[in-house]
Amino acid sequence: MRQFFPVEDLARDDRFVQTNMAERMADKRTALNMKKSAKSRGASNRLTPDRHDASDAARSLMHGIMVGEIQALEGAGRTAHDFEAGDGSDGTIPFELKLDMARQAWDEARHVEISAKLSDWMGTELGQFQENTVLFEAACSNDPVLRLAGVNRALEGLAIDVFTQMKEFGQIAEDPFLEFCEDWMLADEVTHVKMGSDWLRRVTEHDPERRAKALEFQQVVDKLFSFGGARGDTDESPIGLARRFRELAGFTDDEVDTIAEMDHDALEERKAAIQRAHETTSA
Amino acid sequence: MSSTHVTVAPEQFSLVKYDADRIAEITRELADALGVSNPIAVEVDERTPLSKMSATVDGASSDATVTLRVQSGALEDTKHLTNFSETRARLSLGRVMLRARDRLRPDFADAPDDLELTNAQNAAWDTYCGGRLERLGLGPVQQQYRYDFRNRFGFTDDADREFDRVWAADDLTWADLDGLG
Repeated sequence: MRQFFPVEDLARDDRFVQTNMAERMADKRTALNMKKSAKSRGASNRLTPDRHDASDAARSLMHGIMVGEIQALEGAGRTAHDFEAGDGSDGTIPFELKLDMARQAWDEARHVEISAKLSDWMGTELGQFQENTVLFEAACSNDPVLRLAGVNRALEGLAIDVFTQMKEFGQIAEDPFLEFCEDWMLADEVTHVKMGSDWLRRVTEHDPERRAKALEFQQVVDKLFSFGGARGDTDESPIGLARRFRELAGFTDDEVDTIAEMDHDALEERKAAIQRAHETTSA
Repeated sequence: MSSTHVTVAPEQFSLVKYDADRIAEITRELADALGVSNPIAVEVDERTPLSKMSATVDGASSDATVTLRVQSGALEDTKHLTNFSETRARLSLGRVMLRARDRLRPDFADAPDDLELTNAQNAAWDTYCGGRLERLGLGPVQQQYRYDFRNRFGFTDDADREFDRVWAADDLTWADLDGLG
């Protein structure tokens, strides 16, 4: 079986249309309320059921979760297969890490099925929204340690934030299936991040340079996954940062603070870019 | 060919790939199908990808101007962002035009302005519009409307029965919709 799949070769049927971050960020429109400060009344962009567009926003996010789960399944499966079993050096990974990746792939396959059923429940057709392939792109590194940082810590960390938000949405809306399903998937995601944190530490135990490089890569991916500030600590971001669950998954307070700062910077950069685009349009 | 006078603003789009003439054509087709002969002004806010919509009518006569305000997301192809979707446009403009047509009736005189409606009032009225759009053959996804309705009226069998009644109705008044739940 072929190893090291490029993102362009992901198998999808014709219901799915793919996009990437460059295309997404080229869209100069914004859903952000540019006129209000984060503290002003009504400035919250948080995805909660009392938003007038709550159902539409939840449907779009749920579809994003479903395609994200497909890519996470593909990423974990690739990592289990792409590298030979060994001691973690010279492009090998410990056999037990392969087993963890296989277990994760099994979890993600279940999440895909759950998310597809939830999408149906919410009135969404599979492929109704475009699929951003940025998640799988983080799983294409030739170094398995970078994959652990990019996929298990950054991607699955984002999943913790998103599932926490959707679980709260279901809880407040009293949607019995949404809250229940998100809670179960959230538990799996915490485990996946913990696996990534543990393996990253073990495999790089005697190689601090490799560990530093992996954590640096994680920061790059984390910034990408803030989606221009769509995730962040303030209510300006639709998705909150799930600090408690991240802590359970092995993130330190400093690491979460760093992610929060990157999210904030990404939000401000996005707002500035949109402001410039609107000024150009108006001129 | 419809004689309904339709204007679309802006005439040229710069942030999305929409064609004002095509939007006007679709609006005229919908006006014919819904029996709306009033002049219609469509205003598209292309600065936001959100999809909020509202309709206002400046009077109750047949020459009163109907103004349909839509955010660009309401007309968008969700598989190809910033591109126009004829299907979505028909459903969105049809829904907001049905609201405008309702507002021309005396038994909707008490309905608040669209932007003043509560989330529950919005969901009830959207359901009423969705059922009528289905019978026009425009193909709204009923489950989507049902989920919106459940979000506002509860995930219960009673709420589902109310949804089915409103979806199947053609002659409700504002008091009927406002009294739901």
